[in-house]
Amino acid sequence: MPSSTHHVVLGNGIAGNHAASVIREREPDSRITIVSAGALLFYNRYDLPNVFRGRQHWVDYLVHPPEYYESRNITLRRKTQVTELDTRTQTLSLAHRETLHYDKLLIATGGHAYIPERLLDYTKLMLGFHNFIVAMQAQKSVRKGGTVIMLGGDVMGIDLARTVIATGHRVILVLDSRTFWPHEVTPSERVKYLQALTNMGVEVQDSGRVERIEMISGTGSARRVFLENGEHIRGDVVMPFYGLVPTVDFLATSGIDMERGILVNPQLQTVRDNIWAAGDVCQIWSAKHNAYRFFYGYRNVKAMGEVAAHNMTGKKATFTSTVSEELVINRDGTLYSPYWEYD
Amino acid sequence: MIPQQPVYLEDKVDEIRQSGRLDYRSQALPTWCPGCGYYSVTEGLANALNDLQIEKENTVVVSGIGCASRFPFFMDTYGFHTLHGRALPVATGIKVANEKLTVVAIGGDGDGFAIGGGHIPHAARRNVDITYILFDNGIYGLTKGQVSPTSAIGFKTSTSPFENRDAPLNPLLMLLSYGASWVGQTYAGWPHHLAGLVQQALEHPGFSYLHVLSPCVTFDKTDRTYQNLDLTVRELDSDHDSSDLALAMQAASDTRSPALGLYYTSQRETLGQALDQVALRAGAGG
Amino acid sequence: MAYDTDIQISICGSAGDGTIAVGDIFKRAMAHIGYRVIAFDQYPAEIRGFGKCIARTRVATSRVYSMKGYSDVLVSLNDLHAIPHVGEVRNYGALIYDSAPMSAVAEGAHISGHLKPGHIPYALPMREVSELATGANRSRNFVALGFVAGLYQLPQDAFHHAIAAKFESKAAAVTKSALAAFDSGFEAGAASYQFDDVRIDAPRGRKSTHEARMMTGNGAIVQGCLDAGIETFFGYPITPATGIMEHLAVEMPRHGGRLVQTEDEIAAISAAIGAGYAGSRAATATSGPGLSLMTEMMGLGVMAEVPVVIFVSQRGGPSTGLPTKTEQSDLNLAVWGGHGDARRIVLAPTNVEGCRRCAGRAFEIAEQFQVPVIVLVDLYLSNRYETVFLQDENEFLPKNWKPATTPGAGYRRYELTTDGVSPRCIPGEAGGIHTATGLEHDEYGNPSDNSGTHSLMTQKRHEKLQAAIKHPGINFTKRFGDSGKVEVGLLTWGSSFGEALEAMLLAQQEGIRCAAMKVVMLSPFPVRSVLRFYKDCQQILVPELNYTGQFAKLLTSEIALPVTRISHATGAPLDVANLVEAIRRAARKHRRRHNAA
Repeated sequence: MPSSTHHVVLGNGIAGNHAASVIREREPDSRITIVSAGALLFYNRYDLPNVFRGRQHWVDYLVHPPEYYESRNITLRRKTQVTELDTRTQTLSLAHRETLHYDKLLIATGGHAYIPERLLDYTKLMLGFHNFIVAMQAQKSVRKGGTVIMLGGDVMGIDLARTVIATGHRVILVLDSRTFWPHEVTPSERVKYLQALTNMGVEVQDSGRVERIEMISGTGSARRVFLENGEHIRGDVVMPFYGLVPTVDFLATSGIDMERGILVNPQLQTVRDNIWAAGDVCQIWSAKHNAYRFFYGYRNVKAMGEVAAHNMTGKKATFTSTVSEELVINRDGTLYSPYWEYD
Repeated sequence: MIPQQPVYLEDKVDEIRQSGRLDYRSQALPTWCPGCGYYSVTEGLANALNDLQIEKENTVVVSGIGCASRFPFFMDTYGFHTLHGRALPVATGIKVANEKLTVVAIGGDGDGFAIGGGHIPHAARRNVDITYILFDNGIYGLTKGQVSPTSAIGFKTSTSPFENRDAPLNPLLMLLSYGASWVGQTYAGWPHHLAGLVQQALEHPGFSYLHVLSPCVTFDKTDRTYQNLDLTVRELDSDHDSSDLALAMQAASDTRSPALGLYYTSQRETLGQALDQVALRAGAGG
Repeated sequence: MAYDTDIQISICGSAGDGTIAVGDIFKRAMAHIGYRVIAFDQYPAEIRGFGKCIARTRVATSRVYSMKGYSDVLVSLNDLHAIPHVGEVRNYGALIYDSAPMSAVAEGAHISGHLKPGHIPYALPMREVSELATGANRSRNFVALGFVAGLYQLPQDAFHHAIAAKFESKAAAVTKSALAAFDSGFEAGAASYQFDDVRIDAPRGRKSTHEARMMTGNGAIVQGCLDAGIETFFGYPITPATGIMEHLAVEMPRHGGRLVQTEDEIAAISAAIGAGYAGSRAATATSGPGLSLMTEMMGLGVMAEVPVVIFVSQRGGPSTGLPTKTEQSDLNLAVWGGHGDARRIVLAPTNVEGCRRCAGRAFEIAEQFQVPVIVLVDLYLSNRYETVFLQDENEFLPKNWKPATTPGAGYRRYELTTDGVSPRCIPGEAGGIHTATGLEHDEYGNPSDNSGTHSLMTQKRHEKLQAAIKHPGINFTKRFGDSGKVEVGLLTWGSSFGEALEAMLLAQQEGIRCAAMKVVMLSPFPVRSVLRFYKDCQQILVPELNYTGQFAKLLTSEIALPVTRISHATGAPLDVANLVEAIRRAARKHRRRHNAA
């Protein structure tokens, strides 16, 4: 039977791609399909700030060339939205009205930018940085020497800020409780880290939360951000960095146990024995914390892909985190997050 | 039909010379056997063209292959001796190319109704303004005596040594049902009747079909001989109405005593007129 | 040769999707903008039902000679038909498909599951966009067309113009909804991030002074006929030649010509020969099966020395064969078919412009040499579109035949002259009376079975054609590529020459000294210029679309020297990439031999 097993991987990121390649190594003859909502091949999102350095062809960000998938006989279904999962019939419903049957399913759909509810009305006035297209849009929106307004300031945002500043732009960071997400910081640590941000050239704005955002007419993408204290700041682009939420909408009726993310055991198995989850989408049971926890960072996510792949192909493996969760202040007073590390 | 007064050869030759009809005859000696019925058709056509004052350079005689099809060589008009069975489409092409020409297609029963049988309905239904004179001797003469599509059942030939068993066609009935706008029948043994009908056929605007019953004196000693035909042919009833298609078909069904004369005639748009109408509709010159 | 822009877009759908219609608008708009366009549509063989249609269009800023072996963009209007063609799209090329199909589909029936990793998907909810724009789902094709135009930033007005022209004769509402659907698609395309690397740059340089027109090979044949003043046409419907008759049926009556649909191909050629005999510029058109029926009558044309033009568009054979696929397997029939020593003239144009030129010149040549002339094309050339630039002035000679030198008594229709061409009179001319015959005949046209007469007349009928090789206004052979000695020479004919030329250009880019010669006149054969070319080439490749190497055999029998055959009988045009590989191999072989020596 293994030769006809259909492994379906939802998600075209680090976890999904690494899992697919491990499954292929372990089962040369099984069917492997990666389902992706995006149009592109797997590319390195950690490198995206480089669009500010002029690296603007998406092909330059590819982790694998197209031939990689062809030679491994991995089917890539891109521009494919999953709308529903039926665990009883082992069927995925796709938005374009096709169904897809799986024998073993890995959910590695990752997360998407979290927007606080009070700002949802302004979503269209902000630009994320979660994929190549918006990264390009953001870069194009910022004038030479112009200003990027960052809201929140999670570690992805701070990482981007380093490049934006290095390429001659201003970054104004409007603080929020989710600043430094996903690092959990104490109030005293927070003061230190904010100083480190200032050392990095980030203009920290601590006058309260964002109240509303306005378009500056006649300027294209320029925005005015109004703060709770009545002050307002002006920037070429407003980018929200409030951390991630797991992408699990399609699982609403699936019967898979979820909290914020998909709940899995340390073998990354869900409540269904032929469904696993890996990456930013899952909360893994941690005996140490006696709770289901998210584990972030490139190495963790890649390790989850590997663990899931082993368990999907009959070899028992258990996930343990290898990434420190502590923010670090460098000798030069700047900030460093272990989540910025990748191969 | 036996003349009351003696006819003197010199007088007859003089009369023929003065008539002008010899101008339509070429110098070539016909290759037909002495006594062949086809001589009278040559004579009849030359006569009719002469009487109708049709210039010989404006006349084209088109034939296929067979004894009858040698005909163009014996006329001093333009001629086209084509392929076996193809006289009608070639004649159609000539007429479509130049409506001023008088086009006469000539052929035998094998040429017309065997190999060329597929073309006759279409020439008839298009009403192309040509005259088709078909010499029906019920045998393939040029290839020395084989059975033809109009041979009688029981006829013995080199290719039906145990007697023909295939029912003969009824050409007149076919032409009438194909929509030919002029259908007549004559007999080589009645040269004056023949000449008269040839003239009428030429005068008819549209497709005229003249069926000529004609003996093969060489290869048919038993069936369609002058003797037998003289005994069986008759003139169409004097009150025959040539505008009545049903009546014409009824007359054509009597194959025991073939009636001679004009079976059917009607006036309708010719192919040339139809093409002129097409040009008008298309907005010619625009 | 480097092209600034050279892309091929394929639109694939089923018969009811309007695939060919939007393909047509695309190529006309692109030609109007100033691109060089070549296009080839594929229709279903079936009359009814929902067969597969593909409209392929190659657009370039320089002249191109064939379709490409791959596509840069594939638009699917029907996934089941398009899925088998996904593989023809190159890496980083685009696939545009409907992400909102009418009904649910089974697993594997949606095209998105079949894309290669290197393809760039554009999931466009065509049906929804069509419904929003027009209130109906019928205009998916225009949504897709608009998307292509918007994605590649093509000028919207050129498409508006082409759409309006296409529906000129239809109700205004038809144009309106097509435009609305197009514009919605355009907007979606313009808003899409272009991930593929397909670039369509604006055409460069001066526009030709002559109007660019999109024409098929069949259309160009019709144009050539009309320009040459065709007077009569007789034909019988047969794929892929029917289009010639259909188009002439509209045009000829407007220009004083007459057209008759005959009862069969025998009647068609017979009537055309009758009309030619009567002095008109006469023609017929057919395909292989019809040509088989026509060969006996063609022999009469040769014997009776009657001018007539026969257009033959080849398809896959033998017998009924592949009526909607292309092949070059009627060369033997065209050149040699029929009984007896019956040499006729055979011209085989290699592109759409050549179809017009050969068609027009065929009438001149037929008249001048009093002989049937076959213009031999194939389905691929008949149906493919190319941009052509028509001259304003008519280049073809008016109707002419050699007048009787001795009219009146003693006129000899088949007089033995030094050039073999005899004084021809036509019915209506006093003094020119004669009987034309398929029997061997003497100078007067009288039947003769004299052995001396037969040999003299046979010689006359062959020798007179030799001068046709010098007929002005047409290149019977033409050499392209490197001059002087070359490593590899491609020698071919008809529609295949386009692929041969493309392959040659690519091989030259790789540093192979390479040349290609097209042979347009197949009978009589232009031996001297072909021999000259042969002697310049270390290796001669003869690619063609048939199994038996009909042209290669003709060639070797005429020049008595060996060639390398590349036979391709799949029903599809030659594959340029395979041809380039064959050139490489031949060049390697030559170099090895050269180095060894």
